[in-house]
Amino acid sequence: MRTFLTKSVVVGAATLLALTACGSERDASSDDPAEPEAGFAQDSLIGVALPAKTSENWVLAGDLFTNGLKEAGFQADVQYAGASTTVADQQSQINAMVTKGAKVIVIGATDAAQLATQVSQAKQSGATVIAYDRLITNTGDLDYYVAFDNFKVGELQGQALLDGMKEKKPNGPYTIELFSGSPDDNNSKVFFDGAMSILQPAIDSGDVVVGSKQTSIKQTATQGWEAENAQSRMDTLLNSAYTGSKAPDGVLSPNDNLARAIITSVEGAGKPVPVVTGQDSEVESVKSIMAGQQYSTINKDTRKLVAQTITMVKALQAGDEPEINDTDSYDNGEKVIPSYLLDPVIVTKENAAEAYADDPKLGPLTK
Amino acid sequence: MTYVKDLQRFLFGGGTSNARQFGMIFTLVAIILFFQIRTDGLLLTSGNLMALIQGYAYISILSIGMLMVIVAGHIDLSVGSVAAFTGIVVAKVMAEQDLPWPLGILLGLLVGAAIGAWQGFWVAYIGVPAFIVTLAGMLLFRGGNQYIGNADTIPVPEGFRQIGAGYLPEIGPNTGYNNPTLLLGLVICVAVVVRELRARRVRQQMEGATPAPLWIAGVRIAVLVALVVYVTLRYAGGRVGTSFPISGIILLALAVAYSFYTRNTAGGRYIYAVGGNSRAAELSGVKLRRVNFMVMMNMSVLAALAGMIYVARSSASGPQDGLSWELDAIAAVFIGGAAVSGGLGTISGAIVGGLVMAVLSNGLQLIGTGSDMVQIIKGLFLLAAVALDVYNKNQGRFSILGTLSRPFQRGSGSPDPAYEPPKAYTAK
Amino acid sequence: MDAAPPLLEMRSITKEFPGVKALEDVNLLVHQGEIHAICGENGAGKSTLMKVLSGVYPYGSYHGSIVYQGAETRFSDIRSSERAGIVIIHQELALVPGMSITENIFLGNEPRRFGRIDWQAANRRARELMSMVGLRDDPDTLVKDIGVGKQQLVEIAKAFAKDVRLLILDEPTAALNETDSRHLLDLLRGFRERGITSIMISHKLNEIEAIADSITILRDGHTIETIDVRRSGADEDRIVRGMVGRELSSRFPEHRPEIGEVFFEVRDWTVRHPISTERLVCKGSSFTVRHGEIVGFAGLMGAGRTELAMSLFGRSYGVYLGGQVYKDGRPIELRSVAEAIGHGLAYVSEDRKAIGLNLLDDIKTSVVAAKLSKITRNGVLDKAAQYHQAETYRRSLRIKTPSVDEGVVKLSGGNQQKVVLAKWMFTDPDLLILDEPTRGIDVGAKYEIYGIIQQLAGQGKGVVVISSELPELIGLCDRIYTVAEGQVTGVTARRDADPETLMKKMTSTKRTPSR
Repeated sequence: MRTFLTKSVVVGAATLLALTACGSERDASSDDPAEPEAGFAQDSLIGVALPAKTSENWVLAGDLFTNGLKEAGFQADVQYAGASTTVADQQSQINAMVTKGAKVIVIGATDAAQLATQVSQAKQSGATVIAYDRLITNTGDLDYYVAFDNFKVGELQGQALLDGMKEKKPNGPYTIELFSGSPDDNNSKVFFDGAMSILQPAIDSGDVVVGSKQTSIKQTATQGWEAENAQSRMDTLLNSAYTGSKAPDGVLSPNDNLARAIITSVEGAGKPVPVVTGQDSEVESVKSIMAGQQYSTINKDTRKLVAQTITMVKALQAGDEPEINDTDSYDNGEKVIPSYLLDPVIVTKENAAEAYADDPKLGPLTK
Repeated sequence: MTYVKDLQRFLFGGGTSNARQFGMIFTLVAIILFFQIRTDGLLLTSGNLMALIQGYAYISILSIGMLMVIVAGHIDLSVGSVAAFTGIVVAKVMAEQDLPWPLGILLGLLVGAAIGAWQGFWVAYIGVPAFIVTLAGMLLFRGGNQYIGNADTIPVPEGFRQIGAGYLPEIGPNTGYNNPTLLLGLVICVAVVVRELRARRVRQQMEGATPAPLWIAGVRIAVLVALVVYVTLRYAGGRVGTSFPISGIILLALAVAYSFYTRNTAGGRYIYAVGGNSRAAELSGVKLRRVNFMVMMNMSVLAALAGMIYVARSSASGPQDGLSWELDAIAAVFIGGAAVSGGLGTISGAIVGGLVMAVLSNGLQLIGTGSDMVQIIKGLFLLAAVALDVYNKNQGRFSILGTLSRPFQRGSGSPDPAYEPPKAYTAK
Repeated sequence: MDAAPPLLEMRSITKEFPGVKALEDVNLLVHQGEIHAICGENGAGKSTLMKVLSGVYPYGSYHGSIVYQGAETRFSDIRSSERAGIVIIHQELALVPGMSITENIFLGNEPRRFGRIDWQAANRRARELMSMVGLRDDPDTLVKDIGVGKQQLVEIAKAFAKDVRLLILDEPTAALNETDSRHLLDLLRGFRERGITSIMISHKLNEIEAIADSITILRDGHTIETIDVRRSGADEDRIVRGMVGRELSSRFPEHRPEIGEVFFEVRDWTVRHPISTERLVCKGSSFTVRHGEIVGFAGLMGAGRTELAMSLFGRSYGVYLGGQVYKDGRPIELRSVAEAIGHGLAYVSEDRKAIGLNLLDDIKTSVVAAKLSKITRNGVLDKAAQYHQAETYRRSLRIKTPSVDEGVVKLSGGNQQKVVLAKWMFTDPDLLILDEPTRGIDVGAKYEIYGIIQQLAGQGKGVVVISSELPELIGLCDRIYTVAEGQVTGVTARRDADPETLMKKMTSTKRTPSR
């Protein structure tokens, strides 16, 4: 028993010692989650968490953020999620940014619904959270959303598909196939709904026929936005719905990467290349459009989007309210997120030179 | 060398089985110090420590089960898929049937048990190698996740989120700290002291065994208690509303319970016996099939729990849940000193191994390393950790590590003529 | 003979491992064309010496010099010693079971033509080599399909494929039955006539006596003496004295049996092979064991002794077809190992490394492994009790180890066997079945193990000893059952037992009254 007493004394002493050695991080004064103060230092840390480097757009965005934020005098911490553990990576990256005391965290979500906890943690640490390109759902702690108007993207794609087919073949009925994006990306549905708002009347009138009869977003989904998934689905469609001399007149593709996969599949089957839409203005697709294969793409100039985001960050730094232009379209399940939406531009062979005139990489391709 | 050995024996409980853990604890301390300095003290801030635990609790829970699977001589590749499958089932049922969240957790555990029984049946009673069964399970339950969830992301209710993102509540008087966390720390301190004293008493009862000198026991207790106190204050002193994460408490409870089970019960020892030499275990009266079945089943139950904790932390179940978790869990187990061929390893080793990986990737992220480089460094670290151990064993550097060496004639396997056990005690 | 220079001379070889001097100033002189036996207890340094010779421990890792064929050699690895014609055949055979005899003989040494393996030439040469060692099987037979005896011959044929001049055999007959052993010894004599020199490491004194021209005795890493058998003859006592460093008045300890009533009886035990449905490994075997009795089981390799024992021990082998076991007059069921242990049976396997012990365990956990319930209190293992039990056995069985915390892998064969015995004594069995309890164990440890067996019998337990060494059975057992082709062919009382009578019963399947 005596030894036990001695031990207890030792424990007590050690406890006291340690107590004095490291203090509490709690501020007795601020009991409620800190409101973002009006403005912050010019050289504050700005965190940018982007998805895995699966598309060149994300890589470009990352570079633009790094340079743009630095030019504006901020410290930039730009992170991409790992290829195989995307969501978990992004979660811990956001946590790390919070730890490092980032004032604004810009998130291009890998999975729109799985970041609520991190967004709350960021908010409570006093950071402002901006959803970039993809809306983060199920959290009331998201501050802003900045993106291209994705419903409009879908509308433009649907219209381009109809226009393209009419150019090739003046009269219907036209046979088409539909592809939509990854079901875990909130935007996939918006694109698809936009496109269907144009296509559905044509389908109802019988002018346009979906060859495989697969018209729901679940049937047309492309898991993970992966090209190989789109390619294998197209292969399957060609082998089932387009036997013999039958061939589709057009394919609605939500982005360029998938569009090229679809074209590859059709070429592999020895069929004529149909009218295929796209999005993102990827280099390979612009070449393809100029070569007359892919029909259209969407120019959502990443430069403009990043520039707009940085403008918002600057406004926050100065303590101003950032400019927004939409306060009722984007409800993430908890609240309507104040958004700034940019207008997308449809690009076909005709207007490519004009659309990319300012683009150092794409411009030369159109000449 | 003897100095190191003494230190190890007296500070870390002695015995021959934890030599690698000893090295890993040093590595862990070194990594923590390195990043603490490199990040200007960001690593050990309360907020970061909380995020660290929340971000790794589910992997460590997996590694507890994985340790037992690997010790028994198997492997489980399906844990990530099982976790994702359970997550989507629980999320979907809670969302569509309005199931209260405690019942949701129960349902998840039952789903895990059912999956475990399925895999255990093939492994234990049909004799299909666990590698194959769980490879099949990996595909099966990943597909199941997508089939049920339509690759959708399904949110879970607020109450459920507590197990992954919640903290101990703020109760009691304002002490400047989170009171439940302080209480927890106090309980652990007392437990540490009691355990030390009891271990000492047991050691004294063994005639012929020399207990460590009293002052060393004192130092040992002081070090451990100081550590617990430090960690407690870190967790108790974070922002108001935050404290020690619930998921950390679940992990702690599981680690203590399973550690006790594997070390101090017959059932636990059977797992080591089966992994060390299954035929010898069988001829000693161990029910081989039952052990294999239970180990596989237990793994899936823990995987289900890990899946739910992750879903809770992510506030939704998504199609990418559980991707490559099995690899993280397996890496933690091997870094923690388990043998690839089974029969060796400890729960605490697996936890420390997991912690090393967690601190490593957290530290790298804090200094702004991209996820690509983090993966490269983690891969090299895993290889280096295991290679160093193998090298030391071959060189006979630490004679103590020699005891970890497996003789090469396992079962009727091919004998290695070059292998000769040290003749230290036979020549006398 | 003295005029010819020696084929091999190893001069004051010293080899150290961290913390241990395995060899110190060891000398070995081997003449051309002789059979040179090296004997010594396990751990005396025999294998280490041979590893120094064959380059497993390369030049530079030991002190001293090796003069071979008149020149000093410095082998850097096994390949370089093999090029010089020194081939070592290890106790544990280094054959690939799934490959054919030919493939094994030429493994790593394939005859090539234009870069391709010339299988025709290989098969032709394999036949020649096989006939040299008296092996008449098809060279395409897979090694796993032939017996241990023949596998040993394949190993020797493999040595000849490498143009051997000095053949080293490490315990060549340890795993062989009497017939195969005799065949192997004849073969070695044949080699001697052809001028091939052999070094043989062996425990079996009768074999050494029968075949060796010279004997070198090692003890604790030192050379004790070299006996020239042709000049002075081999004196068994002298060898034993040299090996153990003390007088062994008898190979078996004094024992006065106190035999009680029959308490264990097996009737018409019938078991078939686990895979082949046709083959019966036990055909209606019956036997009895009395309290305090040591019962021997003699039989050739494959006669079904181990199969009988293991099938009784919780059906651990084969498929049970029929038969009944009685204990204390009541029929009992032994459907699982746990049940068998519950009924007081213990089985000490013939292969302690493969199935007797978990070599990752330390001594204390091994000792209690078969009956953890005995040290469990309220579902928790009592570590102090475990230590206490292990410590008790360490003392009573004189297990040589500094502590019961040591891993069993560090122990010598004899001490490992003692741990296995302790493990089963810990279960408080009424009947112990010991399968080849002294295989691979040196003379001194054998004596101690015999003592333990007798002590167990003295406590009124029944002990069944299965052994391939007839002198051991005759010296130890009160009654000896003979087994042939799965049948019990007879029982012989100790006073009537001699090798000839037993051998006759072991080779005839005619059933003689068994009680």
